[in-house]
Order: sequence, then structure tokens, then C-alpha cells
Amino acid sequence: MGLLFSRLFSSLFGNKEARILVLGLDNAGKTTILYRLQMGEVVSTIPTIGFNVETVQYNNIKFQVWDLGGQTSIRPYWRCYFPNTQAIIYVVDSSDTDRLAIAKDEFHAILEEEELKGAIVLIYANKQDLPGALDDAAITEDLELHKIKSRQWAIFKTSAIKGEGLFEGLDWLSNTLKSGGG
Amino acid sequence: MFSLLYGLWKYLFSKTEFHVLILGIDKAGKTTLLEKLKSMYSNLEGLPPDRIVPTVGLNIGRIEAEKTKLVFWDLGGQAGLRTIWEKYYEEAHAVIFVIDAACPHRFEDSKSALEKILRHTDLQGAPLLILANKQDLSGAVSAEEVARYLDLKELDERSHVFLAVSAYDGLGIRDAIEWSVNEMERSKRTELLRLRAGITGPVPA
Repeated sequence: MGLLFSRLFSSLFGNKEARILVLGLDNAGKTTILYRLQMGEVVSTIPTIGFNVETVQYNNIKFQVWDLGGQTSIRPYWRCYFPNTQAIIYVVDSSDTDRLAIAKDEFHAILEEEELKGAIVLIYANKQDLPGALDDAAITEDLELHKIKSRQWAIFKTSAIKGEGLFEGLDWLSNTLKSGGG
Repeated sequence: MFSLLYGLWKYLFSKTEFHVLILGIDKAGKTTLLEKLKSMYSNLEGLPPDRIVPTVGLNIGRIEAEKTKLVFWDLGGQAGLRTIWEKYYEEAHAVIFVIDAACPHRFEDSKSALEKILRHTDLQGAPLLILANKQDLSGAVSAEEVARYLDLKELDERSHVFLAVSAYDGLGIRDAIEWSVNEMERSKRTELLRLRAGITGPVPA
């Protein structure tokens, strides 16, 4: 898988520093996805302001992960991580139907951020291995993805545990960035 | 006062931006068309057809053609995904409906999808361009034949045209875009969308 990954992302951004944010509520499966992709060591940092950011550096691309939701006081600090963001990977626990409304609100709030206006959006409808998981069409509806009209988006059914669907999504991501992005 | 004058100035002189929806059932060639448009009308390369995967979301293409700005929304065509099409209707100036002309056994599916589009009030008055795509394939039927097969009476009340194209090699694409721009420029719907945008602020680009 590591090889496939390098095929997709080598030379994608030239020498330019690029950032891909992996976001979602806690327990959506974000860190598991990073480990699954085997890009390298996941480094966890907790800045003094107190929110946990995990980073994987792959060539010139930084993948950075944190949990949305919860404490609102730390949100202004998120902005430190916004510049040069080419893409957002939004991870949803498709079986956690109780919290889909929160996942939706957090998602649309982050898309409002000025510095993220140009980023394309990949949605992972994760945990498809769990009983009761909603499919891609249902998640599309619940997250109100149709409200996105000025940037490209795509949704993929994934199971991070089984490693399913992750590369299909990344394939879309790298193709879309290559063909001109949002 | 200034904002009023500015609004008027913008209304009169700003380059109109047209939103065009690319719809059609899965495997019709919508994204191939979008990528071809990018490569023909912008300095983007566009993805080669063999790199294109089924769309499960929204692809966007921005080009300039016939002295106007065009924004294309290409939406996934798989049956489960068609429910989101209508969420994009309200802001669309025109619709391009793509049909795989080399695949007659799916014409019925295309016909029912198109019927739903024609019935939807949010798309009232939107010019409709129906493309008999994949003319590069030997089995492709003509635009006339596709029109005869679809046999849609609802079309009579709306500005529309059937054109034979190949999104793969570009055949007929320039004519298709020229028709779309001409129709949008004189359509009442464009005027309506413009007024609505003027009242509620600029349409997000």
C-alpha cells in the first residue's frame, strides 16, 4: 500500500509545501486511516493551548489530523493549520447516526473558513463494516453535501479497519488536484 | 446612493457567469465531457479519459467561452446519487443532458431521468442541450434517432436541441457550447436568476 500511495502522491505538488487536513468528530476513525495508509510515522503533538494534532509528513505534503466538536475556546487556534491546505478529508462514523447532525454542523462550519475556500473535499463514509452503517447516498443526504457548490467533492464508503475504500478516495483526490483542483 | 449606482453598474457591465448543470445516467460520459471542456477552453490539461472514475459527488469546471464565464457542475449519475441533482437546479442557467448514443438498451433509463428533470419546477425555462455522446464508437446512433427514441412532448415548450458529439475526441463540442451560450444569453431564466442574485447579493463563484 505504501507503494501505491507514493505512485498517487509523488510529484503532485512539485516542491510546494502542501497540506491535507483530516477532520471529523472524535472516534470517526481518522487516526486508523492514517495508520492504514502507511505513509510514515504518525507524530502526535499537544501544543500548550491544548488541542491534539497528529501529523504525518509525506514528502512535501503534511497530513494533519484533529477532532472537531467539543470545546469552542480552542477553535481560533485551528487557523494556524489552515494556510496552504489543498484538500480536506472529512471522516464520518457512518454507524453513529445519533451524532450525524453534529458532524454535519461541524463540517459546514469548517468549510466557511476563508483560508479553506479553495480546498477540495473528500468524504469518507467510514465504518461500513459495522451493522447499521448508512451508505454513501444516506450520508450525502444527512451531511447536506449538496450545499457545496463552489468546490469539488466526492464521497467514498470506507472501512478503515479492513482497509477498504481508502485508496479509491485518494485516487480521486490526487486526480482532482492534478486536473486543476476546486 | 453609491451602492445603488455600483449595483447598477455591476448589473450592466459585469461579465455574466453562467451555471450549467451536466446531468445524465451513469456511464454517459459527463465527466469526460467536463475534462474535454477544460482542455479545449482553459489552460488546464483536463484528465485523460482513461484516468476518469465514476463520479460520486460534484466535479466543477470553470472556463471562458464566447466571451462569457461558464461554471459547469458535473454530478454523479448512479441511481442512488441522482436524488441530489435537484438541489442544484435553482441556481442553474441551463442543463446539458448527456446520453451514451452507443448504448440503446439504456435509453429508457435516460428517458425517465430526463422526464423528471423536465417536470421539475426549479428548472423552469432552462435551455436544455441533449447530447448524443460517444459518436466515436461505431455503434452510436444519430442525434435524430435519440430524439425519436426519447419522444418527449414536454420538450416542445422549452428551448432545446439534440446534438451529436464525442466527448472523447471533441467532435461537436464547440457547436454545443455556442448553442448553450446563445440560448442562455436570451433566456428569460437568465434574467430571473440575475434579478434574484441582485437582490440577495452576488452569487458565490
